[in-house]
Amino acid sequence: MKLAKNDPRTEMEMNMTPMIDVVFLLIIFFMIITDMTQKELEDLKLPEAENAAPDEPDPDEFRPIINIKIDGTIWVKRQLYYNPEEDDQYQKLRAWLSDVAKRMKKEPYMGMQLPDEPLLIRADMNTPFKYIQKVMEQCGYQDIQIWKVQLAAAETEKDNDE
Amino acid sequence: MSRKRIKEINEEEHELEMTPMIDVTFLLLIFFMCTLKFKTLEGKLSAFLPKDVGVNQTDAEPIEKVEILLEVIKEGKRMHPFKPGEPWNEVPGTRFIYDNSRVVEYSIGPRTTRDLGVLQERLHQLHRADKDRPATIDAREGVVYEDVVEVLDAAMNAEFDEVTFVGSYE
Repeated sequence: MKLAKNDPRTEMEMNMTPMIDVVFLLIIFFMIITDMTQKELEDLKLPEAENAAPDEPDPDEFRPIINIKIDGTIWVKRQLYYNPEEDDQYQKLRAWLSDVAKRMKKEPYMGMQLPDEPLLIRADMNTPFKYIQKVMEQCGYQDIQIWKVQLAAAETEKDNDE
Repeated sequence: MSRKRIKEINEEEHELEMTPMIDVTFLLLIFFMCTLKFKTLEGKLSAFLPKDVGVNQTDAEPIEKVEILLEVIKEGKRMHPFKPGEPWNEVPGTRFIYDNSRVVEYSIGPRTTRDLGVLQERLHQLHRADKDRPATIDAREGVVYEDVVEVLDAAMNAEFDEVTFVGSYE
C-alpha cells in the first residue's frame, strides 16, 4: 500500500480530542502538585474581625507566611521552625526571617534600608500572644528589621455586631 | 435507498460525539473544583512593629500615642472546641476555647474597661480629637491572639491607620 505521508486525506484523520484530554490532565496534575508543595497555610481556627481585608494572594508574588499553633510551635511551609519544648532561641526562624528580609523590596528610612513588605502571621485564636511577640521581637534584629506585619483573621459580615 | 443510508450514518456520528464532550466537561469540572479548594476565605489586618531598633537617634519630636494595654484578669476555663459544655481534654498541642468567664481588661491611660464596646467608643473619641495620633497595643501576660485581633479590629473600626505593637514580657 502506498500511502504518502503528505496525502491530505490521511492527515485529516488525526483526532485532536484525546490529545487535548491528555494535555488537560497533565496541566491539572502539575497544578495540583505545585499547589501541594506551596501549601503554606496550616489548619488553624482564626479569630474573627470585621475589618479584615480580603486576602487574595497573587501566586507569583513572594509572600512570607508564619503559622503559630496553639502550643507555640511555628510552621513555615509545612516545616517546623520553632518548638517551645526544644528551645533553640529562635535561631532557625531568625535565619529564615533574615533570608526573607533580603528578598523583600527595600525602602530608605533614616539612612537605613528597611524591608518594605509585610509578613503574614497566622495564629490560632487561643495561641498565647507571647509566642507572637517573640516572632515580632525576632523581626527587629539588625539583619532582619521587618516592620510591617499582617495578622490573619476570618472575615465576618459587617451587619452583625460582636 | 442510498440517501437514507447516508442519513443513518450521519445520525450515528452525531451520537458518538458526546463522549469527548463529556470527557472535557468532566475535566473542566475537576479543574474548577481543584482551584476553588485552594482559595481560602481569609482576611488580614495590617499593623506595624516599632521601627526604632538599634541605634536610636531621637531627633524627631515624640508623638503622643494612644497606648492600649491588655491585661488578663481571669483566664477562664478551657473548654472543648467542638463539644459545647465539655471541658478540654488537656492533651497538649490540641485546640481549646475559653468559656465566657474569661475577663480581659483594656486600659488607655488611667481609663480601664472590660467591655470591648466601651473601648471602641473611647478609641473613636480619641481618634476624632486628633486624627494623626497612632495607637499602640501592649499585650501583657496571658493574652491570646484573639484578644489582640479584637483590639486591633476595634482600632481599625475607629479608623486608626497606624497601629504598632509594643512591649514584651517574659
